[in-house]
Amino acid sequence: MLSNFSLEDAEAEALGQDLSQIIEYISQLDELDTEGIEPTYQVFEMENVWRDDEIKAQEADREALLALAPEAEDNQIKVPKVL
Amino acid sequence: MKDYEITIGIECHVQLATKTKLFSEVDNDAREKEPNSCVSPVDYALPGMLPRLNKEAVRMAVIAGHALNAKINLLSRFDRKHYYYPDLPKGYQISQLYQPIIGAGYVALPDGTKVRIEHAHMEEDAGKLSHFAGYSLVDLNRAGTPLIEIVSEPDIHSAAHARDYCKELWRIMTYAGVCFGDLYNGNMRFDVNISLAKPGEPLGTRAEIKNLNSFRSVERAVEYEYKRQSKLLDKGEKVVQETRGWSDDTGETTSQRSKEEAQDYRYMPEPDIPPIHLTEEFVEEMKVEMPKLPEDYREQFKGQIADDTLEILLDYQPLVEKLGETKDVKRVSNWFASVLLAEEKSAEYLNDLPSAKQLNDLAEMTEKAELSSTGAKEVFLKFFDPQMKNRDAREIAKELNVLQENDTGALEAIVDQVLNDPACAQAIADYKAGSEKVLGFLVGQVMKASKGKANPAAVQPILKEKLK
Repeated sequence: MLSNFSLEDAEAEALGQDLSQIIEYISQLDELDTEGIEPTYQVFEMENVWRDDEIKAQEADREALLALAPEAEDNQIKVPKVL
Repeated sequence: MKDYEITIGIECHVQLATKTKLFSEVDNDAREKEPNSCVSPVDYALPGMLPRLNKEAVRMAVIAGHALNAKINLLSRFDRKHYYYPDLPKGYQISQLYQPIIGAGYVALPDGTKVRIEHAHMEEDAGKLSHFAGYSLVDLNRAGTPLIEIVSEPDIHSAAHARDYCKELWRIMTYAGVCFGDLYNGNMRFDVNISLAKPGEPLGTRAEIKNLNSFRSVERAVEYEYKRQSKLLDKGEKVVQETRGWSDDTGETTSQRSKEEAQDYRYMPEPDIPPIHLTEEFVEEMKVEMPKLPEDYREQFKGQIADDTLEILLDYQPLVEKLGETKDVKRVSNWFASVLLAEEKSAEYLNDLPSAKQLNDLAEMTEKAELSSTGAKEVFLKFFDPQMKNRDAREIAKELNVLQENDTGALEAIVDQVLNDPACAQAIADYKAGSEKVLGFLVGQVMKASKGKANPAAVQPILKEKLK
């Protein structure tokens, strides 16, 4: 996604500075001692949220999904060559 | 050349045989399907889509864990593994890094060697890319297929054991019913880590051969790597830690990506999927429901079938299952191994095996010498003939006219007929003069006169008696 944005050089420089500052600000968190504290994986206390193994018809079909791709060919999504 | 000790660890991806994908309610069996015909907005990673965990995949993972003699972790979680590649549109793979569902276990190889399992975790498979000049095409049918990745300890020390381990895993997973085991379609894939060191020295740098999909290629790739790495070490050069690909055609591995460029996957807890919290009862229940595994059959048939015959049969789960229902394991296993598997159509036959009663009857008739071993094989093969397969063994034997004559009265009459035949006079004279070997000729004549239906073992004593 991000790589799809194009920026002017001046914009890139300004945003770069902003980002550095944001990271620096957030880095204050590193000063906290979190030794022995269980990470917060979730804010809701849910578990075992699962479903049965049954095939369901999908509202969006292949054509609808392929239409969202910038390019398609032979019912597949066409992307720049990657290896 | 100096001798090195080889150390091998294997990661194996097993596609689970669920009806739907791990997080979306679409068809999980993409074989023979049009590209992108088994996809949902979840697999497509449309914004706002919520993955929903397939309970059956969790159940199968627990069964797989039991089959690996492993500890099942009652609490497990999913994590995001970020990487940017078109085979997974989300930009991350949902996996389990920190708290996998399957803990430490082991696999026992046919020769008794134990390979420890470090852990096994659930994750989603990626889509398939096809590369063309200047572009690639993406098929997401396989994206989201549930996998378990089984990670072994580096307990393997030869190419043959690497092959045996992969094969045993394949058997275990298919017997347990959690994987279709279609290697051609990538149902199981192996990544093999190989390093060399002189005996007593610390482990050398390893190379990882990715994405092998046959036992033979695992064995060949290990053999090739042993040669390649030992040559480097002999010359005083270093083995580079890297990912290598294998080509069945050239029989060589080639460098794909050096670990120095290894990416940071920015693992983080998956917020969309609450943790899995299993009860002891559920985990135990799965143990009770476990189908029989290769190891169980080895135990069951111990001493009744030669080890090498059993190992051949163990590649065909339906055969050993059927064998377990029959009484004369020795005879039936022999028909399976040397008659059935030699047939060109044996693969088709495996789906429609004879009933235990047919096999038991045939074994009993053979035991009682009502059939010769050749006759028994003929009847056995007719069990697979669409015209005859549902008939009783005896009925088929009658139809084929292969029932042996054991009735002493009837046999005596045929023997008399042969002994009175002038063509046999010379042989009779020779026998009486002390030549034992002409007895074979006379038995042959009786067989001929009976049109092959006499039981030669019954004929011999009658002949001897009459020639006294």
